[in-house]
Amino acid sequence: MEMSIVIQTWMAAIFTILIYSIAFRDNNLFKFAEYTFVGAAAGHSLVYGVDNIRKVGWNNIVIGKYFYVLAFLLGVMLYTRYHPQYFWVSRYPLSIMVGLGIGLSMRAVVTAEFITQIKSTAAIQLIGVGDPFKLVSNLIFIILVITTVYFFLFTFPKAHSGGLGVIPKIARYGMMAAFSYSFANTVLSRYNMIFGRLDFLYSNWLPLPGAIIALPIVLILLIYAMLPPEKRPWPKKE
Amino acid sequence: MSGQGKSIWDTLENIPREVLYGILLVVFVVPMIFPLGLPVPVSANVRKWYNTIDALPTGSVVLIDFGYSGGGEPELGPMAVAVYNHLFKKGGIKVIAMSTSIEGPQLWDKAMAEIRPERYGAQYGVDYINIGYITGGETAMAAIGKDLRATTSTDYKGASLDQYSIMDGIVDAHSFDLLICYTTGGDQSEGWVRQWYTVYGTRYLCSVLAMMVPTMLPYQNAGQIISVTSGAQAGEMETLVKVPARGIKSADVITLTHILCLAYVAIGNIAYLSKRFSGGGK
Amino acid sequence: MSTTLKKTIPVAIVFVVAFVVMMDYFLLTPPLTEAGKSWTSTTVRDLQNWGVILTAFTLGFGAVNLFYFHSKHISRRTPNQWQFSLWLLIVIVVFTVTGVSMGPSSDQYNWLYNASYFALSATVYSSLGFYMTSGLYRALRFKNVESGIFVVVGVIVLAKNAPALTVYYPILGTWVSFISDVLTTSAQRGIMIGGALGAISLGVRTMTGRETGFLGKMTEEERGGVGA
Repeated sequence: MEMSIVIQTWMAAIFTILIYSIAFRDNNLFKFAEYTFVGAAAGHSLVYGVDNIRKVGWNNIVIGKYFYVLAFLLGVMLYTRYHPQYFWVSRYPLSIMVGLGIGLSMRAVVTAEFITQIKSTAAIQLIGVGDPFKLVSNLIFIILVITTVYFFLFTFPKAHSGGLGVIPKIARYGMMAAFSYSFANTVLSRYNMIFGRLDFLYSNWLPLPGAIIALPIVLILLIYAMLPPEKRPWPKKE
Repeated sequence: MSGQGKSIWDTLENIPREVLYGILLVVFVVPMIFPLGLPVPVSANVRKWYNTIDALPTGSVVLIDFGYSGGGEPELGPMAVAVYNHLFKKGGIKVIAMSTSIEGPQLWDKAMAEIRPERYGAQYGVDYINIGYITGGETAMAAIGKDLRATTSTDYKGASLDQYSIMDGIVDAHSFDLLICYTTGGDQSEGWVRQWYTVYGTRYLCSVLAMMVPTMLPYQNAGQIISVTSGAQAGEMETLVKVPARGIKSADVITLTHILCLAYVAIGNIAYLSKRFSGGGK
Repeated sequence: MSTTLKKTIPVAIVFVVAFVVMMDYFLLTPPLTEAGKSWTSTTVRDLQNWGVILTAFTLGFGAVNLFYFHSKHISRRTPNQWQFSLWLLIVIVVFTVTGVSMGPSSDQYNWLYNASYFALSATVYSSLGFYMTSGLYRALRFKNVESGIFVVVGVIVLAKNAPALTVYYPILGTWVSFISDVLTTSAQRGIMIGGALGAISLGVRTMTGRETGFLGKMTEEERGGVGA
């Protein structure tokens, strides 16, 4: 295996173990890994920011669309938000971005998340359904959609009290089931991710020379870092 | 109750987290070292996804969005690899990748290293290509849907798209027969519904983290997405495609760790209810 | 004049841009600059590309804020902090210099990414799995009807998510189908419809200047101006 891949694997493995130490106790080695992560994320964003400016902005200017220079000027104007007096200049490019976002989402949200969803609910069969389980399921479906919409639309206290209180109650039960399903799936997601990292350590790192010896050393260093300073066996305090 | 000894129920109700995590780690590691080969069922939604790709006629063009981050790679990476294996095995399908996630290009490189397209005879620029990361989320989706070549004229390495035969005739969303998205962000998975399916009617397959599946189900139910799968179902996809990889490996571990979770829930509830009914607490 | 320049014109820009984008979707307008393409189509195409460029500029905000915040720690030599702040800034510089000079898809940058950022990102995401475990041990308890529903549904789905259990007990698949296709889809649809109404009203309020959160900090004069 190439030396660069070996070093890369070692670095990735050490960072993985340092991050997992937070599950047991906070320590400075975890903090080191955490700050590396934050710095890498910010640097990575900068790199792709420059790449996209070149790809979408500069390449269009080079083919003759000179008005794209305005987009560059607007982009620089965004950074005036840090100026104590001229921060309002950044509102101009921001307005274009906000206007775009509103236009793009509003033109489609009405169809995708409102009309289509209501059509789909209205198309659910209640009459002429042979299977009783299917009929009950369809009925529960429609009731839960209506009660959930009621729960979020009518938020004033009178709508949730007295005889009407049963509607948001049914909605809450439905949402509890939905959130529980989400919760169980979140456990599945996270466990898959943990498996991915442990599989990397087991299949890619441990077979490398020295890794089996390094593992207990790293773990001992971590335990040392997790101990409060007064409980550490070394250095001894007079 | 203070001043009295702890009962067994107190102990079981408050197991220290170090013990919980320690047992969990052991249950993770043991089946990795000693695989059990437990069975893996294939779900209806994975089968629907597989059949959709299998039914694509030769010459179809597919857009794949590598919209997941490094954090989601252990779950979505195997699914992305399995689907690419399926597309390459089938042959005759043009696969154009792009990314709405800032880590997408690196993760695409990772996936390609695992897939090794050359073993299917697939060539970069002829059968598959990557046009790179485009910022802006839904703005980017709308931009490439309207006029792809006006938004980006280079691939992810900066080479001009004009030199690649795969890009002949690729202009906008109408040039694509199918859209596939792997993402860890709800904005991306829902954004494609709003900007491509709603505007252009492009057929759409979506794979997300398992925890995001519930929020995508209404779109699937309404027919806006053909099939929503989670990356955790990669093992099932690998079974159908007959190219076993990382997805199948995780099946034993996931089964045993979930059985452990059920045990933890049972212990916690038995302790809590026993204490409650013996008058020990709320 | 001051309020016009600082508040009214930006709000007007939001309205015009959003209106043109929506017009392009709903109406077919005649061509103006390019034959065969409606003027709204070409305008929105360029606006969208500008949006991509502007978003690319915003990717630098994170680094700028971090430099501002952490350089203060370094100059003040904050105990047990300044060394970490210095390291963070060094990492930003190393990534940026490598990525911009070699290119983000170069072998050197990919090496750096795989050695550090990818491993850290994947591990940070996955470490939450430990907290989920203690969460399900402590929170999934029968305390009342709602928590009871939460526990029952959670247990069924956890069991179904163990692949081998579904093979040995196929009834789990039937139960989870009901939970996902009926209970979850209906509740999520209700949430989606409510969310869509909220998004539409927020959009209209922003276009008409009634919602000015995107303007950031506002002076007293601006708060008393148009749209308040």
